[in-house]
Amino acid sequence: MDYVILSLILLAIGIYGLLTKRHLLKVFVSVELIATAATLNFVMLAPSLGKGLGEAFLILAFSTDTCVSAVILALLVIVHKKYGTSDIGELVKMERGKEEREGNA
Amino acid sequence: MILEVLSAGLIISACLAIFLDEAVYSVAALAGTFIFTALLYALSDALFVAIFQFAMGTGTLAVLFLSGEMLSEKPTKKTPRRNLLLLIAVGVLLSLPAIFLSISGPTSVLSEISFGEALWNLRALDVVLQGLVIMTVALGIVIVLHEKKNGEK
Repeated sequence: MDYVILSLILLAIGIYGLLTKRHLLKVFVSVELIATAATLNFVMLAPSLGKGLGEAFLILAFSTDTCVSAVILALLVIVHKKYGTSDIGELVKMERGKEEREGNA
Repeated sequence: MILEVLSAGLIISACLAIFLDEAVYSVAALAGTFIFTALLYALSDALFVAIFQFAMGTGTLAVLFLSGEMLSEKPTKKTPRRNLLLLIAVGVLLSLPAIFLSISGPTSVLSEISFGEALWNLRALDVVLQGLVIMTVALGIVIVLHEKKNGEK
């Protein structure tokens, strides 16, 4: 059982989701998976640096991760309120259409 | 054996979280990921981390369920059972390398420091600064909401 490979697989799944999914909530889920992969590495490699130190770093990483999650969710809600959609493709289309209209005017 | 089962469950739930179409199901699968991770930590003698992971996961998931329900449109067609089974099979296949392969890494313990000692003696400044940042953000939100309320009146 190797936790480094486990966290690498989780990281790969997260990056795949980040690159291919178009819904903002799915992008957020992918970011969470990447953060989980990173924290898994922290915990499992902690014994080589003194167990307590790795766990202490992890607690700090958790609070940073929670702040990032809060900011992403706030942005998600604002975007959905403003544009009425959470699809990245549609948002890009809307912005391009807006720029074209401004260019024509 | 139980660690292997948990790691397979972790990968399967991560796959489901990414590939399921409906946002609420995806968040439910993410909940599974958090639970499996917390169990892995608990069984690896990192009990503090497991509790933190569980607490943080609960908060994140509560907000995600609400926003998932609010922001996503209902899909017109349901995910076929065959696709679901295929996803689970892919998850099992992906978890096999973690179970059967191994990378040699550093195993020697350089210095055994207790969790409390590491947190308060070595990282005390970080903890205090993070507390300060979070408190400032909370105060900022309260002030912005208060101003907004006054503006509406």
